[in-house]
Amino acid sequence: MSEVKISAEPRTEFGKGGARRTRRAGLVPAVLYGHGEKPQHIALPAREFAAAIRHGGINQIFTIDIAGNSGATLALPKAIQRDPIRDTFEHVDLLIVKRGEKIQVDIQVTLTGEAAKNTLIVHESNTVAVVAEALHLPSELEASIEGLEAGSHVTAGDVKLPKGVELAVDADTVLAVVNAAQSNEEAPAEGETPAEGESAE
Amino acid sequence: MLMPRKPPKGFRKPHHPDRSGASKGGNRVVFGEFGIQALEPAYVTNRQIESARIAMTRHIKRGGKVWISIFPDQALTKKPAETRMGSGKGSPEWWVANVKPGRILFEMSFPNETVAREAMRRAIHKLPMKCRIVTREVGES
Repeated sequence: MSEVKISAEPRTEFGKGGARRTRRAGLVPAVLYGHGEKPQHIALPAREFAAAIRHGGINQIFTIDIAGNSGATLALPKAIQRDPIRDTFEHVDLLIVKRGEKIQVDIQVTLTGEAAKNTLIVHESNTVAVVAEALHLPSELEASIEGLEAGSHVTAGDVKLPKGVELAVDADTVLAVVNAAQSNEEAPAEGETPAEGESAE
Repeated sequence: MLMPRKPPKGFRKPHHPDRSGASKGGNRVVFGEFGIQALEPAYVTNRQIESARIAMTRHIKRGGKVWISIFPDQALTKKPAETRMGSGKGSPEWWVANVKPGRILFEMSFPNETVAREAMRRAIHKLPMKCRIVTREVGES
């Protein structure tokens, strides 16, 4: 995954009023910390940041050039807060990383292939925690569900890992379960309470 | 039909629940792959929830799973027709879920996205507010 250069400006006003003014100015409030350094409150350009996340995913590495500071800082988004309705970025936590440093991140797992007929895949988790070099993070990992019968599981151990990437969780961690598809049954009669997580009729 | 199993602990005939603001939690799809997200505040009755669920499950027929993320735990009262004002509050008439913008109402897991979207579109027609279909996102807090 390549780095994205982004310029930032230091933030001087805080609290919800200051944060809202920052957002109205087309910026995203952010905080930069890690490696024992003092947290720096910065503002990132919203459009550039959104485009980088859209193309590079949630683990996009940024080279942040803060106005008034000498040198750029490598950082990785640690937590992103979004507005659930407008889908805009409200705040970003950026973690400082060093070249060659190994970090733990959650990577998306894509299930490939098709399970046996009349089965339903239920995702327990669609990410897996791995340890990898900060500048060589995989964008996604794959696990095959080809021909899996009902009752079988996809675990973290089934994920194909590229070179230099190690699992940070137990290999037995379940990522997806292959269930038997429910047969067509009648809707519950009036007065009956359907259970939560009910299967299709 | 969804409704509380026991009578409510607080008031049997409460005031109308607050409809202001946005949903504070339950804003993300966590169980299934797709979800129906409310874009407006509304009281969703247990009948509307059941109707939407049936619309969805009848369309997907089999091979999918539906999660209901809201529960109608608020009682709304109504005075009988042609009654003079006064003489106390009316009797509980509906059980509703107080839904605020951003709230995920239903979640669905189904192998075919086109069929799943059509099923959710049908379910949205049974609901009293504007909604949209959302998909599960990765690794965001």
